[in-house]
Amino acid sequence: MPSNLFPNTHPPANVVAIDTTSDYLSLALQKNGIPVGNHYSLCGRKTNQWLFQELHTLLEGAQMTPGELDLVVVAAGPGSFTGTRMGMGAALSFGQVLGVPVIGVDTLCLLAGQTQPTEGLFHALLHCTRDEVYQAAYRWQGEELIPAGNIQMELIENLGDLIGQEPVVWRSLFPDMLSPDQTGILNGFPQRALRHPFPDGLRLLEAGLARWHSRKGPIPPPRPIYLKSEAIRKWTP
Amino acid sequence: MDTMTPQKKHSPKKKGSSSNPAPRNETVAHGGADTPMGACSSNQPIGLAIDTTFDDTSVAILKGRREVLANLTLSQYADHEEFGGVVPERASRKHLEAIHPLIGKALNQGGVGFGDLDYVAVSNQPGLLGAILVGMTVAKSMAYLLTKPLIGINHIEAHPYANFLVHGELPFPLMHLVAAGGHTLLILQRDHFDWTIVGRSIDDAAGECVDKAAKMFGHPMPGGPVVDRLAMAHAPHPHPFPRPMLGDPGLDFSFSGLKTAMFYFIRDHREELQNGEIKEGPALAAFFQAVADVLVAKTLRAAKLHKTPAITLSGGLTASGKLRQAFEEGCKKAGVTLYMPPPPLCTDNAAMVACLAAYRYERGLTDGLTLDGYANLMT
Repeated sequence: MPSNLFPNTHPPANVVAIDTTSDYLSLALQKNGIPVGNHYSLCGRKTNQWLFQELHTLLEGAQMTPGELDLVVVAAGPGSFTGTRMGMGAALSFGQVLGVPVIGVDTLCLLAGQTQPTEGLFHALLHCTRDEVYQAAYRWQGEELIPAGNIQMELIENLGDLIGQEPVVWRSLFPDMLSPDQTGILNGFPQRALRHPFPDGLRLLEAGLARWHSRKGPIPPPRPIYLKSEAIRKWTP
Repeated sequence: MDTMTPQKKHSPKKKGSSSNPAPRNETVAHGGADTPMGACSSNQPIGLAIDTTFDDTSVAILKGRREVLANLTLSQYADHEEFGGVVPERASRKHLEAIHPLIGKALNQGGVGFGDLDYVAVSNQPGLLGAILVGMTVAKSMAYLLTKPLIGINHIEAHPYANFLVHGELPFPLMHLVAAGGHTLLILQRDHFDWTIVGRSIDDAAGECVDKAAKMFGHPMPGGPVVDRLAMAHAPHPHPFPRPMLGDPGLDFSFSGLKTAMFYFIRDHREELQNGEIKEGPALAAFFQAVADVLVAKTLRAAKLHKTPAITLSGGLTASGKLRQAFEEGCKKAGVTLYMPPPPLCTDNAAMVACLAAYRYERGLTDGLTLDGYANLMT
């Protein structure tokens, strides 16, 4: 496994970002420090088939080969379990074969990072199962997004108790699973608008680079973020 | 359209000089037969194979058709023990945790680097889809990054290749009994890549049935080795366990009735089992004898019907000493040649996947990176 100890030299110039945590395949590419590609498509269950085709198209369009990459950024979840594993599997393989570092960024941070920097606490909510959302609180400090708590899973119906009337930004991984009542609850909070469609590969790439710049020592290899509901935790066959 | 490398059809590498600077350890070899393709030679293609179809993470490095440079398998049994069976989501997670370190270890053990690889093979069916996708994503990444062919392998088709690994070239046609996990299959193979399933279990697989019988006696997964050990150590109890579908002229199997028979046996003899009048060993030996009788009789019948002079065994259940003994006796009596891999190659392993992949690589039968994975057996 490659070490995620970054040399104290130049920042990574050629970076790829991979997000397969939802039905959308999102990729971005930076060459010589400049963003040169951003891909966003609805792949659903075809992600495993299309991932490398789209990645290849992106690299080819930028006249790059994978061997030129010096950093891989990956969305580490929470999100679709299988999707998260696909992105992580690819990113860690890139790290292993190319000997380059891999940085994981959580998806709630990405969602929050796509809002306009505005003062005050707000919550990123990612709907993932029938009745629950992943939740984490953030605040902007200038252009920097600051986490204000851990990621947790919460029942939609209990969100009011948890966040009161603080603003939210929310997206659903499975909109068909949301009932009108649940949509009403989520839309009932003050809303923070997204600057770009979610997920956005370039924002992931930026977040990964921000992590690289703010590192205070070795960055551990990324681990997929799985959260389970109480119902699943208590499940026994 | 897949325009990427690897592409559908490739020209197998004619190796005279390696394009790879990494030194090779030519002495690390185990498990291969001494045949022209299996012989240690510097111009044989080297393949990396990955198998994550169920609950074992397995990686192998193969040189030529049969020189196993590394064959590492990480079993997840302990991780699933508390649930009494394999939990698919947990299996997928464990595969992701294990696969990269295992690949690194296999390359080290094989004395090769990524640059030495000529192809990357992966089992893409059948099995737990989430688990398969982990192996496939890793294999595709490596094939793409190394610009080497990707070869998708049917895990079930690969099982009999454990025999090719150890016995060298086998004469076709062959009748394979594959008794692996959720499958009990009789496969008629006329040539490489030319095979037909001629018999299959219409309900429980034999291995499943044995595991469940062991569970009825309180043994944890996997129950097969426990039942085998007891069957080897004890004379069977005289209880007449049924030999399902033995009277049926077809080649299909049915084992759920036998499982139920064991359930009723325990229910009807609870007192004797509790007071030691009937012991667990002889009971399970009698049960396993029934399983073995059916498998031997049906496989020999299939060989006779399809005029195959030889049969092969593969799959986890065929690691059983008792079953192997029964086949040796049955085949000797019937004048049929029997091929069996050593027990470690009966269970899921990536070496068998690599072996089949080596044949595919030679024929230029490779896949694109849009290769899909399948939970069910595609025939």
